[in-house]
Amino acid sequence: MAGTNDHRMPSPLLTRRNFFTRVGGGAGFLALATLLRQEGLLASAPLASPTALVPGAQPGPHHEPRARHCIFIFLAGGTSHLDLFDPKPRLRELDGQPIPPSFLQGVRFSFVKPQQSVLMASPYAFHPRGECGTSFSELLPGIGSCADDIALIRSMHHAAFDHAPGELEMLTGRDQPGRPSLGAWLTYGLGNPSHELPGFVALINHRGPVARAMAWGNGYLPGRYQGMLLRGQGEPILNLQTPADIAPRAHRAQLDAIEQLNRIRGAQSIDPELETRIAAYELAFQMQSSAPELIDISGETQATLQSYGLERPGQQGVFSRNCLLARRMVERGVRFVTLFQRTWDHHKKLDADIRAQCREVDQPIAALINDLKARGMLESTLVVWGTEFGRTAITENASSGRDAGRDHHPHCFSIWMAGGGIRGGQVFGSSDEIGWRIAENGVHTHDFHATLLHLFGLDHKRLTYRHRGLDVRLTDVAGSVVSRLLA
Amino acid sequence: MVGVDRITAISTSVSNHLPNPMLPQLKAILCAAIIAIGAFAIAGGIVSADPGGNGAEFLPEEFASHVLPLLRMRCVSCHGQEKREGGLRLDTRRTTLLGGDNGPVLQPGSSENSELIARLRSQDDARRMPLGESSLEPEQIERFRRWIDAGAPWPDALAGQEVASTHWSFRPIDRPAVPAVRDAWPRSAVDSFLLDRQRRQGLHPASDADRPMLLRRLHLDLLGLPPAADEIEEYLNATGPDDCERLVDRLLASHHFGERWGKHWLDLARFAESDGYENDNLRPNAWRFRDWVTRSINDDMGFDEFTVWQLAGDLREQTESSNLVATGFHRNTLYNSAGGADKEEFRTKAVKDRTAVTGAVWMGLTLNCAECHSHKYDPVSQREYYQLYAFFNSTDDDQFQDAPTLRFLERPTRLHRRGNFLELGAPVDPGVPAFLPDLLMRNSRPDRLDLARWLVSPHHPLTGRVAVNQLWQHLFARGLVATPENFGLRGEPPSHPELIDWLAARFAGLPLANVVDSAGDVNGASATPTQPSSAPTPGAWSRKALIRLLVVSSSYRQSSANDRPGHAEIDPENRLLWRQNRIRLEAEIVRDIALATSGLLDTSLGGPSIQPTLPKVLRDLDELKNERFQESSGRPYRRGLYVHMQRTYPYPMFAAFDGPDGNACTIVRDRSITATQALTLLNDPAIDECCRALGQRLMESTADDSGRVRHAFEWCLGRAPSPAEEEIIRQLVRQQQEAGASESLVWAGVARTMLNLDETITRE
Repeated sequence: MAGTNDHRMPSPLLTRRNFFTRVGGGAGFLALATLLRQEGLLASAPLASPTALVPGAQPGPHHEPRARHCIFIFLAGGTSHLDLFDPKPRLRELDGQPIPPSFLQGVRFSFVKPQQSVLMASPYAFHPRGECGTSFSELLPGIGSCADDIALIRSMHHAAFDHAPGELEMLTGRDQPGRPSLGAWLTYGLGNPSHELPGFVALINHRGPVARAMAWGNGYLPGRYQGMLLRGQGEPILNLQTPADIAPRAHRAQLDAIEQLNRIRGAQSIDPELETRIAAYELAFQMQSSAPELIDISGETQATLQSYGLERPGQQGVFSRNCLLARRMVERGVRFVTLFQRTWDHHKKLDADIRAQCREVDQPIAALINDLKARGMLESTLVVWGTEFGRTAITENASSGRDAGRDHHPHCFSIWMAGGGIRGGQVFGSSDEIGWRIAENGVHTHDFHATLLHLFGLDHKRLTYRHRGLDVRLTDVAGSVVSRLLA
Repeated sequence: MVGVDRITAISTSVSNHLPNPMLPQLKAILCAAIIAIGAFAIAGGIVSADPGGNGAEFLPEEFASHVLPLLRMRCVSCHGQEKREGGLRLDTRRTTLLGGDNGPVLQPGSSENSELIARLRSQDDARRMPLGESSLEPEQIERFRRWIDAGAPWPDALAGQEVASTHWSFRPIDRPAVPAVRDAWPRSAVDSFLLDRQRRQGLHPASDADRPMLLRRLHLDLLGLPPAADEIEEYLNATGPDDCERLVDRLLASHHFGERWGKHWLDLARFAESDGYENDNLRPNAWRFRDWVTRSINDDMGFDEFTVWQLAGDLREQTESSNLVATGFHRNTLYNSAGGADKEEFRTKAVKDRTAVTGAVWMGLTLNCAECHSHKYDPVSQREYYQLYAFFNSTDDDQFQDAPTLRFLERPTRLHRRGNFLELGAPVDPGVPAFLPDLLMRNSRPDRLDLARWLVSPHHPLTGRVAVNQLWQHLFARGLVATPENFGLRGEPPSHPELIDWLAARFAGLPLANVVDSAGDVNGASATPTQPSSAPTPGAWSRKALIRLLVVSSSYRQSSANDRPGHAEIDPENRLLWRQNRIRLEAEIVRDIALATSGLLDTSLGGPSIQPTLPKVLRDLDELKNERFQESSGRPYRRGLYVHMQRTYPYPMFAAFDGPDGNACTIVRDRSITATQALTLLNDPAIDECCRALGQRLMESTADDSGRVRHAFEWCLGRAPSPAEEEIIRQLVRQQQEAGASESLVWAGVARTMLNLDETITRE
């Protein structure tokens, strides 16, 4: 897999550049350009990714990568570990009782008043699934069926207990704005293997994450590592469409003129940035056709569409489509895809809302894992179920029944990973008897990030960027790889 | 009272060793020490304070022979210059007496009250020093005890050197002589410094840029707008030795100057018009701060006054209401109004942000590193961080939406252990780091006004250097210090240390060593240095004077072409400025250029921000139903400076061109080159509108194709096309005609091509 640096390969564009540089400007240049255009070389030449032309190669990989792509599914709002992933029989015995005061020390809440709240057992049954026998909630039958591929972490924790800070904590390693997100770090570390699509793409349904563009932002990394928001409706990428009355031939003629004039300027100022600019225009042109091709799913079989549940109405169908698009992007080389799905912020009416959310995501996520597996892509594609935090074992808004909900709980919650070098069929870490605190093997955000980078062949201590004179990294000054999660 | 005399002697020698004047914290500690010794009232020599007499007399030479070696062998690997665990350094006298994050570690004269002895003797592995190593021998601990009880004598000769006194930017600003270079090239002292360095590397400066390029450069750098056709004609026809100077004076007097340079300052001020975080509520009055900044810069308010108004305008005795809005600088912090947010948590985050931004903007310090532990590299302890924090620790956020003229109410401050606002440590009073000059207080307790005046005292080693470096980078693409946000030990050293000091001294109003007239003219540069006069240089803290000095220099006027053999091999990054640098323009300026060339630009000044229309496809999306850019408001063709800044949803075109989002202080903007930028300039509806308007304007300018091509180049690039360039455009016209485009579409297509050129969005 050392050959993953395909973006470094010499491209015909560079050859073409050298050719032009030798020939120079003037009439000969024009005659040549015309000649080349007639031969179809100018318009159809493959392109180099802009990163390939930027001085200073990326810092990775540091060791043999297991994963080459990541599909990070972010369930925004805070998924309840107690109702989905972490069964607590003891909680059933304590259901309706006040929480022992010892559990409240050092714990903060957003809304809940612990003195008025009581412990609430999950109303849902958990069953062992797969050969490994990991227990999943009845609300996630599809994901449960993938149990043997999944490494379930029941001991995630951090300290950010509100949504935007929690999202930033999980996605950028710090609960405040300004840091690069995971996808930005990965494309910075490894480059963009795609020649016709950006290396880091975000997809959303509903309104996306509350941290908005910071959730796919580049922070202090250069802007080229910013995630591109791909829209599931209408134009997939902002400003992708040429204005309607500009004919394709005229559009191409203008692009050619832009390139020729940029080349003349480049020959005069001898600035390598002009090459980068030219390559960026080529990538933009490629994206104008590759992005619509990407979202055109008419070539997918009926069976595939059905397995993801694309025919489902409203936002359910949007999420199904996003999952399918994630697979199509990975197929086309995109390094990091983040799918944002809202909202799991069930302060009240937990029962009705969590059922609806699970219905929306369970089938497509299971279909995605199975589809990747069937195509032999799961081995090199890491799939993550992430969220900003879990939820409290005590009730909010009602003592029990249909109106009851749960508050934010970052002190202990569950996420999972599959594929991409993860040893599936295991549970890592555990919570105490009511899912309140870590019982063993706590995984902090920094550990999770260190592990994720490790899967991609990156050492989290060596993946640094010089910012304000300091070598900064995703994991700040902490974090260690959770080696038991690795295959 | 020999013991007291001894300590007084230490006090005097320590203060001689430190940057003048003496540091208040140290004074306090030494006073405490003197009192402690005094309490024992020991006469007749330095003896053990233990009345039981189970220790022998501590001999002065024992420190050098036994105590210091013990400190060096067993302590300084963790408590030294490299690693300062717990904010404690035991390798110099001053820092040893000062103590660490948790306070003093020894009380001279009283070993039983000295944490050092307690830690050496502790039975608790987690507390006993040296941590994780074998404990000291009992007689070694006894030696420490006797040393402390004897008043902890530490001879001057062994006092030790601290980093603060050797790092270039922490030293007083030097007033270097302008190098005497015999050459016709320098127009100002700036050039002499640069040329001197180039010569030593075998480099030669580039010739002046041609007049069209220089004109466009000055317009873009000073106003952020390309020169109009009549301005080009006027300048190209102008003659005379000082035509460039006259042009510069005209540009500096334009009100667009404040818009251009005000934006640079707003980047530092993390200016935005919404709260940030989840709710991201609007701040409908934030634009008043923006207008104050642009107005102050247009009025050339001195940087010292500009600073004091922003940091402490509310505390001044003579408060002019028009300037009170300046305190909006530190109201630009984020605010989390989410229902579940912990108010105290986000209040303390805002105070930390104010502390960090003040450190970064005025002093080039990465103070945020000291939030959780003493700074790893710079001499800022955690306690000193919270002393600075104490200046900004106030209650004001609850009234955030009110008019920005509220006074801050001060709060008592405690250190946050590990940076956690829930784990409060020792109380701290407002104060400044010990390695910097003393703070002059108006009253017994220093306040923000004292801090602001301290920052702009001409003798502050950092403020002047940091400020000139920030201005420099906007004119030469990169600062003389390539890390303008970090002047500390991990920052880049300056490429031209003498030049940055020469400029900083001028800017801060320190008298110069050389006879140089106020414009920095080189005529006197080779004259014999004279005694520095005590009168401050005229034009102190004037940004316009400094910018003028820089842009009329030969260095600034150089061509940006990288066309001379050998030079790039010697200095590939052009750090020595043997040519000008090309600069990809900022997001707002890219938009301003499109509006200006197309004739759509609305040049009205100030007032509430605008919300340009977003593409319909974007407005119709579910995900944006609640977003702020749904509705357009205001006149859409105003400059980019006036585009509404929503923290969680930056204007897409600006985000594409690395515009700041206002979430953090931006000292250096990225200048990325991306496909998204290409798509924006090709297809964004607002740019498309400019293309069509420019096409129309070209058609109306003349009926002659060749004339239209000439106008297109003149308006967009400020120069005439070469024959090859003209041929490319004429060929484009033919190709579009062949594709069946109407005449207006053809010229809109030419305009689209021109607005997408690298040169159009580059300051050459």
